[in-house]
Amino acid sequence: MPRITVNNLHKDFKIYERPQDRLWEIITRKPRHRLYHVLSDISFALPDGQSLGIIGVNGAGKSTLLKLLVGTLQPTSGEISIEGQVAALLELGAGFHPEFTGRKNIYLNASLLGVPDENIAELENDIIAFSELDYFIDRPVKTYSSGMFVRLAFSIATMVRPDILVIDEALSVGDMAFQRKCVERMNQFRAERKTMVFCSHSMFHIQELCDIAIWIDQGRIKEIGESDKVVGHYEDFCNSKKTYNSIREDLPEELDKKAEADEAEAEPTVQDCRINSLTVKDIHGNTIDELEPLSSVVMEMEVEVLKDGIEGNFGFAFMKSSEEPHASFLTTEIDSVEKGPFSKGDRFTVSLTVNNFAMRVGEYYVLGGLADKSGLLWYETKFSRQLSIKPTKGVGPIIMDSSWTVRRS
Amino acid sequence: MFLSLIREWALTPVNNYRLFHNFTRQDFFAQFTASVGGFLWLFLTPIVHIIIYSFVFAYIFQVRAPAGFGETSFVLFMMIGYLPWFAFADAVGKSTGLLLEKAPLITKVKFPVQILPVVGSVIPYLTHGIGFGILLLYLATQGYLSVSWLLLPVIFFLQFLFTLGLVAILSALCVFLRDLQQLVTLGVTIWFFLTPIIYPITMIQDEAVRELFLLNPMHSFVNLYREIVLLGEISLIHLYIIVPVSLLSYVIGGWLFMRIRLAFGDVL
Repeated sequence: MPRITVNNLHKDFKIYERPQDRLWEIITRKPRHRLYHVLSDISFALPDGQSLGIIGVNGAGKSTLLKLLVGTLQPTSGEISIEGQVAALLELGAGFHPEFTGRKNIYLNASLLGVPDENIAELENDIIAFSELDYFIDRPVKTYSSGMFVRLAFSIATMVRPDILVIDEALSVGDMAFQRKCVERMNQFRAERKTMVFCSHSMFHIQELCDIAIWIDQGRIKEIGESDKVVGHYEDFCNSKKTYNSIREDLPEELDKKAEADEAEAEPTVQDCRINSLTVKDIHGNTIDELEPLSSVVMEMEVEVLKDGIEGNFGFAFMKSSEEPHASFLTTEIDSVEKGPFSKGDRFTVSLTVNNFAMRVGEYYVLGGLADKSGLLWYETKFSRQLSIKPTKGVGPIIMDSSWTVRRS
Repeated sequence: MFLSLIREWALTPVNNYRLFHNFTRQDFFAQFTASVGGFLWLFLTPIVHIIIYSFVFAYIFQVRAPAGFGETSFVLFMMIGYLPWFAFADAVGKSTGLLLEKAPLITKVKFPVQILPVVGSVIPYLTHGIGFGILLLYLATQGYLSVSWLLLPVIFFLQFLFTLGLVAILSALCVFLRDLQQLVTLGVTIWFFLTPIIYPITMIQDEAVRELFLLNPMHSFVNLYREIVLLGEISLIHLYIIVPVSLLSYVIGGWLFMRIRLAFGDVL
C-alpha cells in the first residue's frame, strides 16, 4: 500500500512582468503571463515505511516538489495522494514568534503540525530534552543562536510522530553533535517503518537515510531507484558537468556511459581532477564490503587529471561519517610517490595496502582523493560504499596484532 | 461545493480549536509582550482619541447629544459608538497585513489558512471588547442597566461577523494586490467620518441625505448600541439592516477566501 502516490504531476508558475499584469489578467481575462514549467511529468509511488531522498542541482524543482507534497502549493495538473498525517520541516522554525519563549513556541508549533490537544504537554519535556536548550527554553526565541533555533524546530517536528515526515535541508545546520542526533532520530523513524521524504545536498545523508532516491533535473525525473545508485550517477554527473561545462555542452549520454559509479560516490569539490573509481579489495584482489579485523585491505582508485600543472598528494582515509576520519593516509611524506606537476589527461591507478586492519567494530567508508601540495585541501574526493567489519569476540573499538606467551614458573 | 466551503469556513475555529486557541493567545499577548507598558497601551489610542474628540466636539463645537437621548452627556454618547467602532476599524485596518506577515508560514506549513482572518478579527474584538465592557460596567452603576442590554452581545457578535467577512475578503485580495494596504487605511478614515460617531446624525439637516446613511451598516450598529444602552429600546429598521448584512458579509467573505486560498502559495 503506497503511502505517497504521485501521478503525472505538473507545476507551472505564472510569471508576470509587472505586478499589475496579474490584475489586468483577472479583469480583462486576457493572458499576460509567461508560463514557467517548474515540474513536468513527475510520477512515483512510495511504499509505506520507505524513505525517499530528492536530489538535484539548485533550481531543479526539489523544494517545489516538497511543497506540493506537503500541500502548500497546488499542482497545475496531476494527482498527489497521501495517506496519513504529514509533518513538514520545509523551513525550520517557520511560525516561531521571536518575542515568545521557546516553551510557548512549542505549543503553537506543535498545534500547527497537527498534534492532538492532549499530547503537547506530554511531549513538552521530551522536546526540551532533545533540543538541549535547558535554561534557554524560557527565554524569548529572538535571543537564540541560529543553531538553537534549528534544534528546537527539529525537536518539535520529529517529536510529534507523524506518519510522514517531510524535511528540506534540515540537516545542513546545527553542530556535528546535533546533526548526529538528528540522523539517529531519523534512523529511529525508519526503524519504526515511518515514511520520510528528504531533500538534501548532502549525498552522505541521502545514502544513509533513504531507500529510494529521485534525481530531478530541470523539473523532470532523471532517475529514480535505489538511493546508492542514483546518488552515484548524480555525483558523477555533477563532477563531469562542472569540469566540462566551460569547454563544451553537456553530453549526458556519453557521461552516462562513463558512469560506473554504482560502486561509489563523491563529494563535488574543485574541478581539477576526477576520481573515476574507488574500490576496496582484499589482498587477493576481490572487491569487498565486509572486512575481517586484522586482515589486509587494499584501497584502489583511478585518478584522472583534468588540468595542466596540478601538483598534489594522493590520499585515503577511513571515515566514520562524511566529516569524521578515523585513520588517514597521505603521500606528503612519501618521497617515492610522484607529486606532479601533472598534465591534463594523466591517469593514475593508486593503491594502498593496509596491513592488519585495526578497527574491531563499526562501519566505515573509504575516502580516496587528490589533495594539494600541503595535503590540507582536497582537489577531489570520492567515497566508497559502506565497509562493515565482521564481528569478533572481544570488547573495545580497536584490535591489535598480538601474540601470547604463557609460561608456568 | 459552495455549501461545503461555507461549512468548513464556519467550523474552522471549532475543528481546529487548539490551533485557534494558541494562535489567538499568541497574537493577543504579542501585542504588548515586549513593551513595558503592557496591555495599557492597547487602551491608550482609543482613550486619547476620545479625549481629543471630546475636546474638539463637546468643548469647542459644543455638540450635544440629540434630543431623543435626554440628559446624556455627549462624551458618553460618543464613547458608546466609538469603542465598538474602534474594534471594527482596528480589525479592518490590520486585515491587509494578516496573510502577508504570515507568508513564510503559509508557504511552508500546511494548516487551515482561513484561521488567520478569524484570529485577526477576534483579537481587536477581544481587546476593545474589554474596553467597551468596562464602559458598560460603569454605565450600569449609573442606572442605565435594562433588560434590553441582553441584546448587546448579539449585536456585538453580528458586528463581529460583519467585520470578519470584510477582513477575509481584504486579507485575501491583498495577497494579489498589495496596493490595497494604502487604500484600506484611507477607506477606514473616510468610513469613520461618514459614520455618525463624533456627531449625532440629527445634525444633518437634509432628510434625504440622512436616509442615505442607512446604507452604512456601521451607522446602524452604532445607533443600536446607543439606543440599547441609553434608552433601553431599539429601532427595528437598524436590526433589519444588520442581520442580513452581517450574515451576507460573513458568508460571502468566507466563501471568497476559501475559494482563493489555494492560490496563496503561488503568489506569496
